[in-house]
Amino acid sequence: MEEKILKIKALKKVFGKNKVLKGIDFELAAGERVVVLGPSGSGKSTFLRCINRMEEPTSGEIYFHDTLITDKNIQKMRQDIGMVFQHFNLINNLTVMQNLTLAPVVLKLMKEEEAEKKARSLLRHIDLLDKAEAFPASLSGGQKQRIAIIRAMMMDPKVLLFDEPTSALDPESIGDVLSLIHEVADAGMTMMIVTHEMGFAREIASRVVFIDEGKIIEEGTPSEFFEHPKTPRVKEFLKKVL
Amino acid sequence: MDNFFNEIVELFTTPQYIDSMLHGFALTMQIAFFAIIIGLVLGTIIALIDTAKKSKWMFLPKLICKIYTTIIRGTPMALQLFIMFFVIFAIRGFPQVIIAVLAFGFNSAAYVSEVIRSGIQSVDGGQTEAGLALGLSRFTIFRKIVAPQAIKNIIPALGNEIITVIKETAIVSMVGLYDLNMAAKDIGSGQNMASYIVPMFTAALFYLAVVYIITFVIKCIEKRLRRSDRRI
Ligand SMILES: Nc1ncnc2c1ncn2[C@@H]1O[C@H](COP(=O)(O)OP(=O)(O)OP(=O)(O)O)[C@@H](O)[C@H]1O
Ligand SMILES: [Mg+2]
Repeated sequence: MEEKILKIKALKKVFGKNKVLKGIDFELAAGERVVVLGPSGSGKSTFLRCINRMEEPTSGEIYFHDTLITDKNIQKMRQDIGMVFQHFNLINNLTVMQNLTLAPVVLKLMKEEEAEKKARSLLRHIDLLDKAEAFPASLSGGQKQRIAIIRAMMMDPKVLLFDEPTSALDPESIGDVLSLIHEVADAGMTMMIVTHEMGFAREIASRVVFIDEGKIIEEGTPSEFFEHPKTPRVKEFLKKVL
Repeated sequence: MDNFFNEIVELFTTPQYIDSMLHGFALTMQIAFFAIIIGLVLGTIIALIDTAKKSKWMFLPKLICKIYTTIIRGTPMALQLFIMFFVIFAIRGFPQVIIAVLAFGFNSAAYVSEVIRSGIQSVDGGQTEAGLALGLSRFTIFRKIVAPQAIKNIIPALGNEIITVIKETAIVSMVGLYDLNMAAKDIGSGQNMASYIVPMFTAALFYLAVVYIITFVIKCIEKRLRRSDRRI
């Protein structure tokens, strides 16, 4: 049987009176690239953010491998569950190099020289080695997001969560970020991606999941999903976005 | 005009007056200095309690801090000084300077805590999330990410608070302490120079000089802290 990285059972999330997630069951196998689609406000971000507990789930269970994620063990789990944010969230008071090395060094996963060496090789790979000593304020959005992606890679995560990684970018830098995500995928990374870039979704996904009003209402391979959608809701959605 | 110059000469050549002025100045600075230290320490503690994550353990401390800052910020400093002198420390022989230091320190703490709290809360939540998502502890996130960014917002406002405390200590003359303000009044009184203008303007210059120096120092610190905003 293939190895499951995440198992999610009956996940619910309520904000005040607003029931945002209404019972999500989901499994993620190693090597999968799941694209999460759905209309605005359907709960895609909330779903992703419950996985690494940026939001506290109201109820339900999330297993990482076979360990139930709890408040007690989440900090350790997050080392293996990377996240890339819509607004990059590079740490403003640290240089690019410090952004990359802070967590692995503080968490004693690597020695400082080792972390810097790895950071340099990743920076060289994305052609931003000359920005190592720059502060985030001096970078463009596309540069920031590519650095945010390699910052997540510094931890050697088992799974990467992307929440609309290109939504805050100008059209020109979107391409750079998408091709970096493609490279990460080609290297075998397991990932979950929320995106509104349909072309990209179709190319990168090994499976598409559609969320509407806090529930997964349809899922399938990209060709099934885009060419033979089953539910009227998805048909309507695709008509609007394609 | 002649008279004015004569009075200046009189003030600066009479050892007794110079002595009074310097003593007054020293007392003002002493009270302000220790009050600011108390304000910073107590204010930081209050701010940390205020911004700590909500939990059942923090409920009571948070409530106490809330009540404390509300009372201090909602009543006049002069009244707080009187209450400290004539109610809480109405003990004969208790050093008056210490009472004054405590009164100003406790007052300043409420304002310092506000300054620090809003400085911490002005740091974008995405900064904390970035740290959390990387598996860092809340303590590390505070120390390495939030605090260094908050400081930039806090320092200028803290400078204002320090200046306010120094100037506000002038009301200790109301409870009979011989500070810079009182010295000016004393030197100008009938038994002495019998003219207020020169001693009072001199006292004003003392206050101004101190405020100017502090403003300058704060500006320098701000400039240093701004380095990470610079585009390089
Ligand atoms: N921290 C929060 N507090 C209160 N309500 C929230 C919070 N975060 C999200 N919500 C609400 O939850 C619902 C789902 O939000 P979510 O961000 O998960 O949607 P989404 O599918 O990611 O939408 P989009 O495509 O616009 O990003 C929305 O109604 C939103 O207002
Ligand atoms: Mg979203």
